Amino acid sequence: MSGYLGSLLGFSTEKIEKGDFILLSDRNADASFLINHFLSLYLRAGCKVCFLGLVQSFSHYSAVALRLGVNLVQAREQGQLVFLEGLKDSVSQLLQQGPNSEACPMGFLRGSQTDLRSLFRFVQRSVGGAGEWSPSILLVDDMSVLLSLGVSVGAILDFSHYCRTTVCHQLQGNMVMLVRVGEEEDDEEGPELLLKALTHQCSLALSVQGLPTGYCRDIHGQVEVRWKERGAGPGGALTQKKLLQYKVHDKGVSFFARGTSSAVL
Amino acid sequence: MLLDVIQGTENGGFVIIQDTVECCGRQLLQSCIAAALHREEDVHVLAFEVCEEDLRLGLDRKYEQRLCVHNGYTDPLGWSEHPLFTVHQFMAEELNAHLSGSEESKPATLIIDSLSWVLRHHPPAVVCQRLQELRRGGALRRVVALLHCDLHQQSIVGSLCHLATAVISVVPGNRGQQAVAKTTRRTKSGKVTHEEEYFSVKEDLTVTVEARPSLHGRPQTEEDEHEADPAANLTFNLRLSEGEKEAKEKLSLPFVFSEEKKSALLQPRPGSGRIVYNPDASDDFDPEDPDDDLAV
Repeated sequence: MSGYLGSLLGFSTEKIEKGDFILLSDRNADASFLINHFLSLYLRAGCKVCFLGLVQSFSHYSAVALRLGVNLVQAREQGQLVFLEGLKDSVSQLLQQGPNSEACPMGFLRGSQTDLRSLFRFVQRSVGGAGEWSPSILLVDDMSVLLSLGVSVGAILDFSHYCRTTVCHQLQGNMVMLVRVGEEEDDEEGPELLLKALTHQCSLALSVQGLPTGYCRDIHGQVEVRWKERGAGPGGALTQKKLLQYKVHDKGVSFFARGTSSAVL
Repeated sequence: MLLDVIQGTENGGFVIIQDTVECCGRQLLQSCIAAALHREEDVHVLAFEVCEEDLRLGLDRKYEQRLCVHNGYTDPLGWSEHPLFTVHQFMAEELNAHLSGSEESKPATLIIDSLSWVLRHHPPAVVCQRLQELRRGGALRRVVALLHCDLHQQSIVGSLCHLATAVISVVPGNRGQQAVAKTTRRTKSGKVTHEEEYFSVKEDLTVTVEARPSLHGRPQTEEDEHEADPAANLTFNLRLSEGEKEAKEKLSLPFVFSEEKKSALLQPRPGSGRIVYNPDASDDFDPEDPDDDLAV
């Protein structure tokens, strides 16, 4: 497990495993650096990536990816990257005069649909037919914004189930989803319930929090990594946990074991 | 008790395996499947959360034909044109026909993975009614369901557990490396028994029970063992010699009264504590008003 984790977090060169659902979450912290990290990791590894960018524009991700050494514009032109620009599409959906067409991925905003079937069809079209790029990867940033757009927790869980069936099981690719939980929100039930339910479904969960002791210039926070061992065995039922610390640089992010930050050693 | 419930010696039972994010109960569910297959019974699995290959992992190949997995994982809501098994079919009459379909008419075991999935798409009251129907239908010997209790309100979990004849809750143990199974079983006479056991599931899906966790946990017994003499290893002496101990016993404390001391204090002694008043010639001493404060 540690070798695979090492390759995911960028400090070893083992192969990427297939069929994984990786859940990223944050609580009063910002885990979007992980989305950018995974995006550049998978593009550099030659995977076909479908990215549902619901929170930022394409130019934002493109600018960050350039600093990490990946050209998103080129990847999109070559067909390696399929990008859903959620912000632009949602505005055009809401201002649309005529009847809603089934094919629009953001069609659920119009209120006639209660589920995310159209969004799932978009994902299905994008990850299928990989061609020269493989395996297929689905990245979502982020799931909790769907809650604030009025989609129920059940509909989001159905959507993630169908994505997992298609991407992880049928195509043997990976799926990475981000869920954000804040502590000052009034409607606490929605994000917490969504996080717990997705944690039940996922195979690997990375949870980003601030340091419990407060702000530090050299260590930006800690990441709790949890995974379930596959198959039976003495450790099979329990969730295994590991705690790492991280620091975000201009050119990427570095992870290290607790107490081994370069500022301390 | 965990092994008894997994082996499933009684008929007409409804077993719920409760788990949380910390500790997964699916392995116990798989060992229930393995135990039922070993008894040469038919097993029907409604699989919504994991794919068929993952469920069959570790099961003995020779019993494959007796295991019928209804694939609700690929398309549970009918979004494609030809769904294999949907969550709505759980409520349908066709399921009864499916379950009692075998020619030998031996009652089958029904495994539901998971009940949380069904509860997301059907109201809890309807699910409870359906479960009772399935139990009383006669086609099933036993129903075993997995429930993620941290995804539902306590009232819903409580209602479902009320229907169950046995509830197994899987939680992480104190030792950190192993899981604990808390089993509650209700017999038809109404007797309720409860037990907590450390367990582990092997590769071939057999369950071994290690030991019972003590009521107070291990830390307290460790404290008793380590309670050392506080007067040891000091640079000054806190202990008393024999002579010093005797003197300490003999010492009478100032406010601790023995009988002799009490009687000595309370009896008037001659020459002490008496007040004698000799009035002068100029003192106006009125015996009826000694303090001179009555307005007579």
